[in-house]
Amino acid sequence: MKISYNWLRELTGLDWSPEEMGDRLTLCGTACEHIESTARYMDRVLVAEVSELHPVPGADKIQRAVVDTGSERLDVICGAPNVAVGQKVPLATIGATLAGDIKITKAKIRGVVSYGMICSERELGLSDDHSGILVLDPDAPAGKSLVEYLDFDDYMLTFELTPNRPDSMSAIGIARDLAALASLKVTRPTVDLSESAESASDFISVSIDDPLACPRYAARVIRNVKVAPSPWWIRKKLWTAGIRPISNVVDITNLVMLECGHPLHAFDLDRFGSDRVVVRRARDKEKFVTLDGSEHELTENVLLITNGITGVAAAGVMGGMDSEVEDNTTNVLLEAAFFDASIIRKSRKELGIVSESSSRFEKGADPNGIEYAIDRAADLFCRVCGGEVLSTVVDCYPGRIEPKTIDFRPRRCNTVLGTDISTDRMRRIFTDLEFGVGGSETLEVTVPTFRPDIEREIDLIEEVVRIEGFDSVEDSVVNIGALFTPTHYEDHFNSEMRHVLLGTGFDEMVGHGLADSRFASLLNPDLPQVRITNPVSEELNIMRNSLVHTALGVIGHNLAHRNMDLRLFEIGKAYFPPADTSDFHEEERVVLAVTGSTPRGWRGNVRPLDFYDLTGALECLVDHFRWPQFKFTPRRISFLDESLSFRITAGNQPVGWVGRIPGNLARKTDIKQSVLVAELVLAPLIAVSGSLVQFRPLPVYPAAPRDLAIVVDQRVSAGEIVECVRQAAGDLAESVNIFDLYAGEQIEKGKKSVAISISYRSPSGSLSGDAVDEKQRLVTGSLKQMLLAEIRDK
Amino acid sequence: MSLPDEVARLKREALERIGKTDSLASLKELQVLYLGRKGLLTAVLKGLKDLPVDERRHVGGQANQCRRQLEEEFKQAAGRFASPASHTLIDPTLPGTGQRLGAAHIVSQTIDEICRIFYGMGFEIARGPDVETDYYNFEALNFPPDHPARDMQDTFFVEGGRLLRTHTTPVQSRELEKRKPPMKIITPGKCFRNEAISTRAHVSFHQVDGFLVDEDVSMADMKGALVAFCKAFFGEGLKLKFRPSYFPFTEPSAEVDIQCFLCRGKGCRVCQHTGWLEILGCGMIDPAVLEKAGHDPEKYTGYAFGVGVERPAMLKYRIDDIRLFFNNDVRFLRQFI
Repeated sequence: MKISYNWLRELTGLDWSPEEMGDRLTLCGTACEHIESTARYMDRVLVAEVSELHPVPGADKIQRAVVDTGSERLDVICGAPNVAVGQKVPLATIGATLAGDIKITKAKIRGVVSYGMICSERELGLSDDHSGILVLDPDAPAGKSLVEYLDFDDYMLTFELTPNRPDSMSAIGIARDLAALASLKVTRPTVDLSESAESASDFISVSIDDPLACPRYAARVIRNVKVAPSPWWIRKKLWTAGIRPISNVVDITNLVMLECGHPLHAFDLDRFGSDRVVVRRARDKEKFVTLDGSEHELTENVLLITNGITGVAAAGVMGGMDSEVEDNTTNVLLEAAFFDASIIRKSRKELGIVSESSSRFEKGADPNGIEYAIDRAADLFCRVCGGEVLSTVVDCYPGRIEPKTIDFRPRRCNTVLGTDISTDRMRRIFTDLEFGVGGSETLEVTVPTFRPDIEREIDLIEEVVRIEGFDSVEDSVVNIGALFTPTHYEDHFNSEMRHVLLGTGFDEMVGHGLADSRFASLLNPDLPQVRITNPVSEELNIMRNSLVHTALGVIGHNLAHRNMDLRLFEIGKAYFPPADTSDFHEEERVVLAVTGSTPRGWRGNVRPLDFYDLTGALECLVDHFRWPQFKFTPRRISFLDESLSFRITAGNQPVGWVGRIPGNLARKTDIKQSVLVAELVLAPLIAVSGSLVQFRPLPVYPAAPRDLAIVVDQRVSAGEIVECVRQAAGDLAESVNIFDLYAGEQIEKGKKSVAISISYRSPSGSLSGDAVDEKQRLVTGSLKQMLLAEIRDK
Repeated sequence: MSLPDEVARLKREALERIGKTDSLASLKELQVLYLGRKGLLTAVLKGLKDLPVDERRHVGGQANQCRRQLEEEFKQAAGRFASPASHTLIDPTLPGTGQRLGAAHIVSQTIDEICRIFYGMGFEIARGPDVETDYYNFEALNFPPDHPARDMQDTFFVEGGRLLRTHTTPVQSRELEKRKPPMKIITPGKCFRNEAISTRAHVSFHQVDGFLVDEDVSMADMKGALVAFCKAFFGEGLKLKFRPSYFPFTEPSAEVDIQCFLCRGKGCRVCQHTGWLEILGCGMIDPAVLEKAGHDPEKYTGYAFGVGVERPAMLKYRIDDIRLFFNNDVRFLRQFI
């Protein structure tokens, strides 16, 4: 919201600079975001008279105007439909910079040299009105600077208001905070209304069908107004608030709304269609045309002001087209009503209209601010538009809303804030905010109805600290609360896993968690998805049900940017909808993915990243967390290539899968190279992690190493060979390692050569060569028998 | 000057100059100057022939000893400037081999850093679901149904009447319900807002919220803790500004601005020339929130706060596009290794 700096000065009598005003308001909760000079686009803009108008050959939308600045006559090209000879207009001369960064230079347009520009409100940065030029008063002195002529040396303060403070949506509201900061009082414009003898109740009656939605509806009648442009003082206040002036009648309702925060509406009484106002819910499918010309089909969620037959306004949101004030309006029905916040919120959502009025009502207007608002507007109608105000406010207010009185304990306030503010100071803050204060030990604070946000003692405590300032609260350096900090294994687990994987050279990804339903269905056709009912886009319409989804997206992005060699991991959640009676399920997982090659280095050992790069990293995790029986078993997995697809188990529990992404799936994310992924579910792994290490005494007696080379069928796995050796050698085999693997020339097709090193050691004494040879014979015998191995000579 | 004295003087002078040489080339020149065929020592020794035989033998022996000693000194000194080629084939400018370290994502690094600071102050970590109920995300936190405050947080809804949490404060709702005071907890995690993706906004982001509930907890305690956090996270010597704000679940509420750590308050592009950066929201837990969770708000008070992750990281590391966090381009990730 924007408000004029001069206006705030007028209301408070403060002479703070705009910056100081903005800063002080920010520190009391009315955040001032910007301060702009109203004259920022008026440098080198002068009052000028349009002396002549000439057509421009070959162009029917523009004219050549000869303008007189008092000292010179200049040719200016003008395209405004409302330009006329004899008008006084704002002329931007060469060197001026207007809103929208328009720089005025000598310019040749259609063969005519133009020495300036006649400005609209938009070009002067006053409003968004660009329908025609701004026309000044006939007595405006040509040659005078526009700022001086309008006496418009002001600032627009832009506020970012919080939704709990409807009272700040007005000049008086903001001035009230300002005044409280300086312990001053707001001076409201006085209302000196002279009413005619006739009573408005002879012309209009009001009835409310739904007093919950509309607790109060007040109306006045003003006759014989002359609709005309507003005087400059009104227009300037509207401009600084970013509201476009329209005509004096409409402008006055807007001005009073800006001034005291209460939205008003003016109807053309002669086109109102009856002599009674009936406030009711709209009927289902009832049609209504708002004054912006759009037709709406309504439901019961919309509160309607009617003339007893048809709608004349969508209550609190926007007036209707048929009863709108026009240039020839003479008699006005002025509405000042109080609508319930939630009905206005529903109405404006249904209508799809956010207006100055709706945004005030839906945050909460003041039911008892109506008297001042309606009289202030009526007074202005009388003084500015020459109207005749009929006596009597036709006021339907069946259940008066009274101000609340709240008990307030100054001691409690100091306890909550950790301060030492005196009771007198607190009392003063409340009276400065225009609250009533009674009581002594416990204060009885009466909160006016313009502050619907204050309902409890704690809300009053906030008022105290807001006005006193947070600087009055000292920073406490005492550590309070829990005596010690419990830690949770899950947190360590994730963090350790991250660090192990970083150490193995994998880069960490963080995904946003949303995914594309179609692609997820391709990956896991049978896996349920958590669907977002209001997605930002079709590509982000579910919560991911696998981390592989994110990994492929990230790999696709990197490959598109020529980052070809990738080792990536992410620890994050996959999401599942409830199955049967269970709740939504979120599963912590880790995904690892590799593609491309090892880095090119000076030792020249480049090779494609493959399956073993993934399992190598997984084995680091196995070692670190001491996961028991970590095994890979061939298994068909929907999103993995049939030829390379394993289920992973730990402690006989399924914990994940590893394998290659098939080409057709990879291509969906623009991946044209081989990608291998592994995904683990963390919960079952946490359950089997971190078993306590039992120390084994360091060996005292020497080890006896033996190497062995065998040829076996290619289908015999390394695991089977090692297991066979261990079985045969028993406890004496301290370690069994495969140190060479070969298939190809010199080896029979379908077979492979495997070199094994076995280290024998006994904890109870040195092993004799014979004892080792004996074990070695058992080993070779077992390998031959169990695995049909052929023992190769050295 | 006698010949032995001359030899001794030359030796002293040579040793001193050897000590001061700073390159192999100047050392070589020096060696030629003293020990060369036309060198200073050689020249002196030419005078030997004029001495009597006995004396000649004695002085000659001294001179040769001096020559050998200087030769040794030159050799030693040359060792100081040994070139790799002369003594080894190891080239230390080649990159070392072995596993390159992976890069921790800057979001997790930042979460870790924030959590470490609060952990040091005695806060425990708690987590909760990302797919939340309206109750824990809004209602338990005193957001009335159909209230404009809900518009402050554009919410994603999922099938089954749930929503994606818009902050990690629902973990506060859950923990408040489960535990008894004192409670001193931080809640790091992912949050979601239904916003168009741009350089400044994303559908997902991370937050570390926290809260403390006990008897007699005051706003002064909150300020003390948050000032300590800001010092640890952003550095010493920066001013903080607490200004009143509005969150439905705290009362009084405040936003905290920190003096821009790049320009130290002078005004720059990062702080949009205000000299201040908005970094966290906080406040005293609203009595209604405590009451809903079954705690007596007369007996217990508490404070709560919320720190963003991406935003402070963007400010601290001058990252200008929030989408970079989620693109996971390795050229981005590896900058923060």
